[in-house]
Amino acid sequence: MPSVSSLREASETLAAAHVAGRRCRIGEDLTTDGLDGILEHEAGDLTCTVEAGIRLSVLNAALARHGQRLSLDPPGDATIGAVLARNLSGPLRHRFGAPRDLVLGVTLVLADGTIASAGGKVVKNVAGYDLGRLVCGSQGRLALIARVSFRLHPLPKAARTLLVETDEVPAAVAALLRSQLQPSALDVLHPGRVAVLLEGSERAVDAQLAAARGLVGGDETGPEVWEESRMRQGGARGRVRFAPGDLADVLAGLSEAVVRPSAGVAYTLEELPSGSEPQSADAADAVQRLSERIRLAFDPNGVLAP
Amino acid sequence: MSLTAAFVAELQEALGAEHVITEPEQLRVYECDGLTGHRAVPELVVLPHSTEEVQAVVRACHRERVPFVARGAGTGLSGGATPVAGGVVVSLARMNRILEVDLESRRVVVEPGVANLDVTRAVAEEGFFYAPDPSSQQVCTIGGNVAENSGGAHCLKYGFTVHHVTGLTLVLPDGEVVELGGKALDPDGPDLLGVVVGSEGTLGIVTRITLRVVRSPEAVRTLLAGFETTDAAGAAVSGIIAAGILPSAIEMMDRLTIEAAELAVAPGYPEGAGAVLLVELDGVAAQVEEDAAEVERICRECGAFEFRAAADEASRALLWKGRKSAFAAMGRVATDYYVQDGVVPRTRLPEVLRRIEELSRSHGLRVGNVFHAGDGNLHPLVLYDAEQGETERARELAEAILDACLDAGGSLTGEHGVGMDKACSMPRMFSERDLEVFGRLRRAFDPEGLCNPGKVIPTPRLCGEVPGPYRVHALERIGVAERL
Repeated sequence: MPSVSSLREASETLAAAHVAGRRCRIGEDLTTDGLDGILEHEAGDLTCTVEAGIRLSVLNAALARHGQRLSLDPPGDATIGAVLARNLSGPLRHRFGAPRDLVLGVTLVLADGTIASAGGKVVKNVAGYDLGRLVCGSQGRLALIARVSFRLHPLPKAARTLLVETDEVPAAVAALLRSQLQPSALDVLHPGRVAVLLEGSERAVDAQLAAARGLVGGDETGPEVWEESRMRQGGARGRVRFAPGDLADVLAGLSEAVVRPSAGVAYTLEELPSGSEPQSADAADAVQRLSERIRLAFDPNGVLAP
Repeated sequence: MSLTAAFVAELQEALGAEHVITEPEQLRVYECDGLTGHRAVPELVVLPHSTEEVQAVVRACHRERVPFVARGAGTGLSGGATPVAGGVVVSLARMNRILEVDLESRRVVVEPGVANLDVTRAVAEEGFFYAPDPSSQQVCTIGGNVAENSGGAHCLKYGFTVHHVTGLTLVLPDGEVVELGGKALDPDGPDLLGVVVGSEGTLGIVTRITLRVVRSPEAVRTLLAGFETTDAAGAAVSGIIAAGILPSAIEMMDRLTIEAAELAVAPGYPEGAGAVLLVELDGVAAQVEEDAAEVERICRECGAFEFRAAADEASRALLWKGRKSAFAAMGRVATDYYVQDGVVPRTRLPEVLRRIEELSRSHGLRVGNVFHAGDGNLHPLVLYDAEQGETERARELAEAILDACLDAGGSLTGEHGVGMDKACSMPRMFSERDLEVFGRLRRAFDPEGLCNPGKVIPTPRLCGEVPGPYRVHALERIGVAERL
């Protein structure tokens, strides 16, 4: 499997496939394993620019040496390009969002070899179309993601986890979300458990933990519950999206799942149709047609088609 | 180009004659937005009341190949809502209903003409707020915020409009309606929602928006520090960030801006200060307390000679007063001014400020600096006197400042948008290939080029023209909308 190690090489490889009318699927016919450098890390700006083949664990180990992190913690250890293309996130998404929320800019290689950048490396920027967000969730169908700039966060000075075992999960979640606590993660390990991650200064974390216990009970536990959550998410076979207010109904219909209540996403053990929000078939078709027009504009010859 | 009588009659039939404006005097009201140097009188203004009516207008325009421009409150500062001569302006002013408040899901569903602040008003009693807070928030609309991906003073912590929109109903430029996202996050496929937010009204007309609202913080603390120099204040900003503190806002004003603010609203800022830093912290009380002490320590270490803290609403408002009046206050020290909007990496702030000072001297014009120091978003105010023939020099200076921002690795615009104002500057930040790919995306949405043409992407026709000088917008003059 050819692995490209420079922008130019990626451009030439794709352009050749484009001209020959050959398929070149990202992650299968072409990988970015050789494109794995950290191009810039401006600790004072809390930003970094990396090549998309770098693994999340490698990036975060490097950032940790400067007391910072990219606040994305999906299961497994995907490359940054895959994290974007597959829109991967983990428990930290509760507070820090999904890849789209942390991307500042991208350099893409289109199927015809065109190298194009969008966004920038500064945290605030509204110049031009936001292609960095567009490619989030694109499954490698629009372009090869070659470089990405991110917004970073400081590593917390302290972190503690509260685990609540309860038959009244929706009530406990509602109480936590209604409170003025600011957890970094809040997962439901369905059935019967709610995990809350509190981060910040030592004193503030202690205060938050005490306040959370006062509200919903539970006991402090170690960080391994987050590993369990990620494992279960990684092993899930279905995904349900829901309006966060519908948590109780969603849980009632599931036997086992990891649920992120504020995002409205459940990773289920059962195979379920994804996307549970009611939308007419017509409306779904219209979005499909629009996506297809964008795909054709980026990859007219279907080089990146699965 | 002149619209046919049949076309006008069709829209009158669809919307009601009273919601189709054809009188030249009334059309003139729509000739510009907050960027008053660009003007064009539209042929027709329509005020639809529903997605279906917007769809009817857009379908008619598409069929007859008539260009159209959506418009909210007209407070934009980049000419994003400047009409196209011979085209139609679609005002969303009548679509101003809050359709649903669903606090169980922490979502509010609104029409595009709802004013930004009204979203917070609708949920404040329950202890929630809508985070993006552009300084025109009393009048600017959510539809306009979506178009511009508006930020505000508190976006350092809370992010921009794009972080708070979870769903959109979009009328595409051919009249087809698509639903992007909803109350739930993570729809399958590419993030279309994310690219439509901030597309400056060029990819369609948004007719319904689902917003995320946030629980109000337990504690808010506003701090103000006076420094001798902007360098010292800049060092304090770096120190705060390096300490791992994430304030909700860090704002800086320089000597000239402080002087102007004192003349205008007398906020009583530290006397003789060369720079004032305004830091706001919010969140869990224990954390805010600790961070506030740390911010004070850092500021004093960096040479702050005066430090104030405010915890209640009234004293907070006093500290913010000077900052919020900064732009309007410039009228006290100059007859005309041009406001620039550039971004630099936070760590390059001191050197870029020194460069701006050099440029100010070499152009013989004063520059006031007031900016979002936390995220490196500069708003240099170039002061000049049009009657003394300084307009052209002011423009050159503003352009040179933008170049300094780009040289430092920054951006053309942090929040005002590209619009008409900076379309011709886009090649200074993006390569021809980048722009060509932007064009591909735009054509996928709008193959005929009818939706807000001439904005964002430079065209040869457009970029031959020179815009007129900045004049104070009517809304700003009455003190409702100010530029931030």
